[in-house]
Amino acid sequence: MPWKPILRQLWLPALVFAVLLVATAGSTSFYFPPLTDVLATLWRELLHGGLVSDLWFSLRNILLGLALATVVGTGAGLAIGEVRTLRLATGPLLDFARATPTVGFVPVIILTLGIGSGPKIFLIFLGSVWPILLNTISGVRAIGPAVYETSRGYRIPWPLRLRRVILPGALPQILAGIRVALSIAVVLMVVSEIYGSPVGLGNFILQSGSSFHVAETWAGTILIGIVGYGLSVLLLLVEHRLLGWYHERAPRVRSPRPVRAAPSEIEESNGVVV
Amino acid sequence: MTRGSSLYVEDLCMAFGQGPQEHRVLDGLSLRVDPGEAVCVVGPSGAGKTTLLRCLAGLARPTSGQVRYGELPLIEPHDDIAVVSQDYRGSLLPWMRVWDNVAFPLQGRGVKKAVRKSRALECLEAVGLQDVGDKYPWQLSGGMQQRVAIARGLAYDAPVLLMDEPFGSVDAQSRFDLEDLTLRLRRQLGITVVVVTHDIDEAVYLGDRVIVLGGRPTAVLETLTVPLGTDRDQLSTRADPRFAELRTRVLALIRGEKLPTGPEVAHQ
Repeated sequence: MPWKPILRQLWLPALVFAVLLVATAGSTSFYFPPLTDVLATLWRELLHGGLVSDLWFSLRNILLGLALATVVGTGAGLAIGEVRTLRLATGPLLDFARATPTVGFVPVIILTLGIGSGPKIFLIFLGSVWPILLNTISGVRAIGPAVYETSRGYRIPWPLRLRRVILPGALPQILAGIRVALSIAVVLMVVSEIYGSPVGLGNFILQSGSSFHVAETWAGTILIGIVGYGLSVLLLLVEHRLLGWYHERAPRVRSPRPVRAAPSEIEESNGVVV
Repeated sequence: MTRGSSLYVEDLCMAFGQGPQEHRVLDGLSLRVDPGEAVCVVGPSGAGKTTLLRCLAGLARPTSGQVRYGELPLIEPHDDIAVVSQDYRGSLLPWMRVWDNVAFPLQGRGVKKAVRKSRALECLEAVGLQDVGDKYPWQLSGGMQQRVAIARGLAYDAPVLLMDEPFGSVDAQSRFDLEDLTLRLRRQLGITVVVVTHDIDEAVYLGDRVIVLGGRPTAVLETLTVPLGTDRDQLSTRADPRFAELRTRVLALIRGEKLPTGPEVAHQ
């Protein structure tokens, strides 16, 4: 068993947990109850309270919103990346959309679409589609000219080219886009439930907070963190499965061509605006 | 056992840009390659060799003049013509296994997977690569990757194989092996081979004819016939006085000099 690498990664989280546990033990502060109390509350709420239905509501919204954003963002991104006319026409619009914080749409969406599950999924979709779309476009653009020349020279029909050349070629950046989208989606999931919603994790922490159930508020907040972390771990697993070739390649061949837009740049520029 | 048709290049001109910025690369180039022939196009770098090859492959359209395959004007890539590019690293797809890369053009033709795979493995064996079908291209050395690219050209089963500086970025030893591989495949399969290169020795070693490009803009300076037969090997062929004579002549043509009278100078 490779214990060493696991230990090397886990010692700090374990230490932080232990410090928190010790530091808050026997705490009499109203706002910072002992961590054990918070965890016990979390457990109790999950087993007996309504927290499971809140969790399920939130999870369903974020997954549907992200799935929709992935399908639309990747599809449109492939088309825009491939077709010059589309790229030129959509350029200014995309820059505008990228620079507009999605949170600003919350009141409008609630006003026009109401407070059910639909508007929340739409909001999550709206916020997370941009990084996926923009990353897909730049992923397609970054595919080397030799690859295009080859598939043209061997007369690969376009549906096959799209499926086996363009999509896998852009996949590393598409997944980087989804990773950025995920963090935006978690924020929007919570925000959308804080504004006018009878259920969901956002509503749970809002309700507990405004009625001074401090342990419950902390428990809900921790649960949101766990949801976000769990989803990103899931995404990492998917990425590892899909991008084996990309990560295993020797470093000297990792960028055989000049990279036009480094994925990290895009991540940052999108990550800031929520 | 030759297949396919002749390639004709007639009065080919290629210019980039327009108006006063127009940069004329190729000017009034004409040549002909017959089925089963091995022709090397040699010229200094920047002479538009790759442009010429892209026109032959139907990947680029000439500004004027035309390229024909038999009677057919080549305005787009043709099923009978396979291209092996210099940039093997860029042209092999890193997300496909080696066999899949070789078989990919056949998938475009709708060939079933099992047939595709066995054909791919067959072609890999023909270029001396057994047991690497399930690896990824980036797990192989440069020379091996270029073999994979050649195998892909073979799997395409085209009578005409165009090669653009095919061995420019592999080590010297692999380069000799790949040159011999090209000669052998061409003998065995009766395919037409057009190799574009800046390496004069390679051009003389591989070609039945050597077409020397030069000048600005580029035109055909001369076409030389290589009287060395089809059975060549690295040691005796390169030691042949006729080989030395030819390479000296090509070098002189490219440099625009008269034939040297003193001891011959290495070209690199």
